[in-house]
Amino acid sequence: MMILHDRRRAGLGAVVLLAATACGGGDPGSSPLEGFCAAVAPRVDAYLERALSESPVPDDERYGGTVVVATISEIAGGMNAFVSADYAATQHHQFVNLMTLLNYDEDLSPHPYLAESWDVSEDGTEITFHLRRDVYWHDGEPTDAHDVAFTYVRLTDPRTAYPNAGFWGQYVQGEDGVEVVDDFTIKVRLQPHAEFLDPWRAVGIMPEHLLGDVPPEELAGHPFGTECPVGNGPFVFRDHQPNERWVFAANPAFPEALGGRPYVDRYVYRVIPEQTTLLTELLTEGIDLYVGLQPDQVQQVVDAPNLYFVHFPSRNYIYVGWNARRPQLSDRRVRRALTLAVNRAEIVEALVQGYGTVANSSVPPFHWAYDESLGDAVPFDREAARALLDDAGWTDRDGDGVRENADGLRLAISIKYNQGNQIRQDIAEIMQAQLGEVGVEVRPQAIEWGTLVGQITDPVERDFDGFVMAWAAEFRVDDAGLFHSDRIDEPYAWAGTQNPEIDRLLDEIAITVDRDEARPLIEEYQGLLADEQPYTFFYYADLTEGVNVRLRDVHMDVRGEWVSVGRWWIDPASR
Amino acid sequence: MSDAGRETALAAGPERPVRVRGWPWLSHVLPGAPQLLAGRWGSGGAALLVWLGLLWVALRDVSAFGSALGGPADARLAVLIVVVSLTVAWTWSWRDVRRGVGPGQPGTSQWDSMARSFARNRTAVAALMVVFGMYLLALVAPLVSPFDPTAQGDLVNERLLAPSGLHLLGTDQYARDVFSRLLYGARVSMTIGLVAVGIAVTLGTVLGAIAGYLGGWVDSVIMRFVDTLIAFPRLVLLITIVAVFEPGVLLITVVLGLTLWPRTARIVRGEVLSLREREFIQAARALGYSKWRIIFRHLIPNALGPVIVAATLGIGDTIVLEAGLSFLGIGVQPPMPSWGTMVDDGRLHLLNAWWLSTFAGFAIVLTVLSFNLVGDGLRDALDPRTRP
Amino acid sequence: MTKYLVRRLAGAVPLVLGIATVVFFVVTLAPGDPASLVLNPGMTPEVADQMRANYGLDQPVHVRYVKWMGAALTGNFGTSHTYRRPVLDVLLTFLPNTLLLSGCALVLAFMFGIFLGTVQAVRQYSLVDRGVSVLTLFFYSMPSFWLGLMLILVFSFFARNVWHWPIWFPASGMTSVDYEFLSTGAKVVDRLKHLVLPTVSLALVMTAGIARYMRGSMLEVIQQDFVRTARAKGLPERTVVFKHALRNALIPVITLLGLYLPVLFSGTVFIEYVFAWPGLGKTLVDAISLRDYPLVMAGSFFFAVMVVMGNLLADVLYAVVDPRIRHE
Repeated sequence: MMILHDRRRAGLGAVVLLAATACGGGDPGSSPLEGFCAAVAPRVDAYLERALSESPVPDDERYGGTVVVATISEIAGGMNAFVSADYAATQHHQFVNLMTLLNYDEDLSPHPYLAESWDVSEDGTEITFHLRRDVYWHDGEPTDAHDVAFTYVRLTDPRTAYPNAGFWGQYVQGEDGVEVVDDFTIKVRLQPHAEFLDPWRAVGIMPEHLLGDVPPEELAGHPFGTECPVGNGPFVFRDHQPNERWVFAANPAFPEALGGRPYVDRYVYRVIPEQTTLLTELLTEGIDLYVGLQPDQVQQVVDAPNLYFVHFPSRNYIYVGWNARRPQLSDRRVRRALTLAVNRAEIVEALVQGYGTVANSSVPPFHWAYDESLGDAVPFDREAARALLDDAGWTDRDGDGVRENADGLRLAISIKYNQGNQIRQDIAEIMQAQLGEVGVEVRPQAIEWGTLVGQITDPVERDFDGFVMAWAAEFRVDDAGLFHSDRIDEPYAWAGTQNPEIDRLLDEIAITVDRDEARPLIEEYQGLLADEQPYTFFYYADLTEGVNVRLRDVHMDVRGEWVSVGRWWIDPASR
Repeated sequence: MSDAGRETALAAGPERPVRVRGWPWLSHVLPGAPQLLAGRWGSGGAALLVWLGLLWVALRDVSAFGSALGGPADARLAVLIVVVSLTVAWTWSWRDVRRGVGPGQPGTSQWDSMARSFARNRTAVAALMVVFGMYLLALVAPLVSPFDPTAQGDLVNERLLAPSGLHLLGTDQYARDVFSRLLYGARVSMTIGLVAVGIAVTLGTVLGAIAGYLGGWVDSVIMRFVDTLIAFPRLVLLITIVAVFEPGVLLITVVLGLTLWPRTARIVRGEVLSLREREFIQAARALGYSKWRIIFRHLIPNALGPVIVAATLGIGDTIVLEAGLSFLGIGVQPPMPSWGTMVDDGRLHLLNAWWLSTFAGFAIVLTVLSFNLVGDGLRDALDPRTRP
Repeated sequence: MTKYLVRRLAGAVPLVLGIATVVFFVVTLAPGDPASLVLNPGMTPEVADQMRANYGLDQPVHVRYVKWMGAALTGNFGTSHTYRRPVLDVLLTFLPNTLLLSGCALVLAFMFGIFLGTVQAVRQYSLVDRGVSVLTLFFYSMPSFWLGLMLILVFSFFARNVWHWPIWFPASGMTSVDYEFLSTGAKVVDRLKHLVLPTVSLALVMTAGIARYMRGSMLEVIQQDFVRTARAKGLPERTVVFKHALRNALIPVITLLGLYLPVLFSGTVFIEYVFAWPGLGKTLVDAISLRDYPLVMAGSFFFAVMVVMGNLLADVLYAVVDPRIRHE
C-alpha cells in the first residue's frame, strides 16, 4: 500500500499522520497510564546496564561513537506501530527500535528476521511462523508468539483505528485469524493473495506484556509511543525531546545472527525544520547525515571536502492528479494531450538535477514487474498534443489563445499544490508555462495542506481540476483504492476515471500469488494506465542524502535510509 | 495608556486660517500647483506628485497594475483605489486653496511648520526620497523591466544564472529575470503595505474618534472590540483565513488591514480624549455644530499627526510581515513576484545562488528602513519640544 | 488598587472567552480534519470514522463547542492529537524553551536599547544619533527569518569552514547531542553557545523599538526643570544624565516590559523555525496545519491571556514606578 510522501518544509509541519486518541471529553489528568513510564524506564535502564556488562564491546575499531541524523520533520506517532504509517516512523519501527517478523533482502525477497522461518499451507490459507528464541524486549522480557498474536488482534480491530488496516484486508480479522501454537510458533489465516507476506514486513511487533491491558481505543494516546517506547530491535530508546531529538543506544544483546550489536554506541535523530539550517549543520559537522537533501543543495555537498553524496531510487512518484469528473478533463485524449505537452524529462533534469526517472505508471522501476518498454509511451510532443486536443473537439474558436469546445467552455484548469512545497510549486508553475503553449490555460494555486487534502478527498465535492502530489508506492501493486470503479466514492479515488479493463486487472492482480503469473498482468496494467492517464505521472524520485565522510558503510536503497543503520560506523580518528 | 503611550505624540493645535496666494482655479486643473506657487513645497509637491502619478496610472497602466495584483477582481479594486485616491487628492487640494483664500499669515499652519522642521532633517528627507523613488520604480516597472517577470526561460541552460549584462541581477530557479521580478515585486509589496495601512488608518481613525468623542457605551463597545482584536493571535487568524479562503494579494491585504486598525483606533481615541475638552472644540459645540461635523471636521484633522507617524511605520512593518507570511507559505501566490516571496524562494539557494534572495532582501530593508526614518522624522517634526 | 485590579481582571474574562470562541469556529470551519490528513489508501473509510469518533469529531460543531468550553472552564483543555498528551502538558514542555530564548533576547534588547536610546537623546541630531537610528532600524527592517539565516551563514558556516575563526556558533538546536556527558561547566558553555545566534537575531529585531522609545522618553526628561536645575547647579553632565535623567526616563520604558510579555511567551515562530528551537510558536503554527484543534485552542487562549496580563502589567508597573498615577 501507499503512504503519501510529503516532505514539506517549515510552516506546514511534517509528514502528517494522526491517529486516534482517547480524548473527546475524557479527563486526561486522572489517567491510569500516568505511572506507566515511571515504572518502565528503570527496567529499561537495568536491562541496558546488564546487557552492557554481559556482552562486552567486541574488539573492533568500528565500534563506538555517536551518529547524528537530521531531517525536517518529527517522527510522527513515535515508536507506536498501531498509530503510525508515517515514513520516518515505519523506518524506525522496522530497522531501529522495533522488529518485524521478516524483512526484505536487496532483491526485495522476504528474509527471516524476528521469524526464523515460516511455512505456507498448500492452499495458501495458513502461514505458520517460527519465531527466534533469543530476542528480548528492552526491559528483559522475551519476545514471543503472544506478542505477535496481540499485535495481530489489535491491528485488525477497528477500534484501534490502525491507519494501514487496509493492508490486512485479506487476512482473517481478529482472534479467529490467529492461533498461538506454542510460545514461539504462531499460525495466521488468510485468503490467498498477492505478496501476502508484505504486511508482516511493514508492521513492527508490539509488546503484549506492557500494552495488553490497554483498551484498543486508548492505544494511540498511550505514552508508550513517544515517551517511553520499549522495543526489541537493535537500538534501545533512551530519550525523546518533542520537536527536538530522539536518542537511542546500541542494544548489546541484539542477536548475533541478525547482525549483533550495532557499531555506533548512540544514534540520535534530530529535527531541524529549515533546510538551509540543515545544510549548514551538515557542512559544519553538527550532523552526520542529512536525510532528504534538496536537489539544489547537492552541488554544495559534492563540493565540500568533508561530505559525500548518496542517492538511490525511492518508492515515491510525483504526479498531477486530474479530476475526470470535470467536463474539461473527462476525455482521456485531453488528459493524454496534457501529458504530451509537458517536457517531463527536462523538468526532471532541471528541478531535481536528474535525480529521478520519468514515470508513466504507478509501478516504479525497482519493482520486479516494471515494464521498461513503456519508457516512451507518452513522449514530449507538442504537435501530437495539439492534434489530440483538436481531435477531442477543443480548438481556439475566439482567437484568445485558449481552446474552447463546441459549447464555448474554455480549456482552463487550475492546478493546486500545497503551500510551501517547492518542487510541487515548481511543477505547477512549469506546467502553466508549457501547457500555455498548446492553448491550455493553467492557474497554479497554492492551498494550505489540510485544506487541499479536504478538497480532494471529499467524495462529494472533489473541489479541484488538477493537483500536484506524491505517492509512496508499496512493494506490491495495489491501486484499487485509487483507480477501481467500485471504489470511486472512496476518498482516494480522486481521479474518478472508470475503466472496466483496469478494474479487471486490479481484481486479478490482487489475488494472483505467483509472480510469474502476475508479471504479464502488471505489465498490461501499466500500459492501460499510461493510456487512461488518470494522473500525469511525472517522475519516480530518487532520494538524495548528504553524509559526513567520517560515517562509513552507509548503504541505502529502496527499502529506506535506515536499512543498514546497524552497520554504519564512524571513523575512529574523528569520533 | 498602554499602546497609545508608545508614541510620543503631541496634541496638534487648532486650525488656523491659511491664505494661499495664487489662483484657486489652478487647483481644478493641477492640484498642488497653487500650494507650490505659494511656497508650500511639502504639501504642494506631495499633492502634485500623487495626482500626476495616479493620473498616469489611471490613463495608461490600470490594467497592468491590476494584473500585477492578480485576477480581475483585483483589477477592479485597483481601479477603485486609483479613482478614490484621485478624488481625495483633488478635493483636498481644492479645499485647501479655497479655505486659504482670505486674510491670514501664509505658511504658518501646524502642517507647514512641521514640513519645514521635517525638511531640516536630512536623513528623513533622504529616506522620503527613497520611498518616493521606490513607488516611482513600482509605477514604471513595465517600462523599465527588461523581461516579463513571470516568463520562464530555458530551464536547463538558463536556470540560476549569476548576474551579468543580460540579466542584471541574475535568473531564478525558473530562469526568470530577477531584476524584472524585483521591479514588479515592488508593486505588489508596496501596494500591500499601502493598501493594508490605508484600510487600517481609515477604519481606526473613524472608529477611534467616534469612541473618544461620544464616550459612553459606544466607547465601551468599540474599545472592547479593539481589545479583543489586539489580544487575538494574529498568525492563527491569518493562517486559518488563508486556509479557508483562496489565498491571494487581495485577501492578505484586507486581512492585514483588518488586523492592524485597532492600534490606530487606540492612538486616535487617546488624542481625541485630550482634544475633546479643548476650547476650540467647546466653541464648535457651542456653535451648535453636529457631532459628526465636529468629529470629522475638527477632531480627526487635529488628531492626524500621530496617526500619520504610525501609518508610516505601519507600512514598513506590513512589508516585513508580508515576507514573514511567505516564509510560512501563506504569502503572495506564484508566479506573481513580491519581495517576500523572492526572499523566501531564494532561501534554499543562499549558498549556491546568493542573488536570489539578497537583492530582494535589500530592497525590503532599504524600503522599510526608509519608511521608519520618515516616520521618525515626522514624529520629531510633529513634536515642537524636540524640534531642532 | 486591588479594586482596580479586580475590575480589570473581571473585564478580561469575556474578552478571553470571546477570543476562544472566535478561534474555535475559525479553526473548525477550515476544511480538512485529523482523520482526512492521514492520506493512506490503506486506511478504510470505516477506520477514518473510527478515528473521528475517537477524537470526538463525530459530533456537530455546536456540541463540540459547548463541550470544549465547559471543559476549558474547569481547566481541562483536552488531549493533543499530534502529541497524544494532555494539551497543558504539551504547552508546559515547550514553554521553558521559549522562555529561555525570549527572556535572554529581551534582556539583551533592553540593555542595548536603553543604552543606545540614551546616547541618541544626549547627542540629539548628531551623527551618532542618526547613525544609531539607521543601524538599529536596519536590523528591524529585515525579515527575521532572513536575518537568522544570514547570522547562521556568517557565524556558523563561513566562520568555521571558510574563515576558520577560533570561535563559531552552532547553527541550531538547544544543546549538543553529547550534552548529557559534559561537565557542569561545559554544559553551561554549551547552552550559551547554542543560545547566541537565536538570541542575537531576536534581540536585534527588538532593539530598534526600545531605543526609539528610550530616546523619546529621555528627550522629554532632559527638558524638564529638575534636569535644568541639576545642570544649573553645575553637576557634571555625566551625573546629570545618568543619575538624574536616566532614572526618570526609565519609568515609561519599564512599562514596555508588560507589552513584551506576549512575545516572551509566544516566542517568535520564525526564529524557532530557522534555529530549530523547540518552542511554543512553531508548535502552535504546526498545530494549525495538523488540525490539532485542542492544541490550537489552548495556545490561542494562552496567548490572549498573556496579552491581557501584559497590558495590565504595563499599567500596574506604571503606577508603581510613577506615584503620581493612581487608579481609582
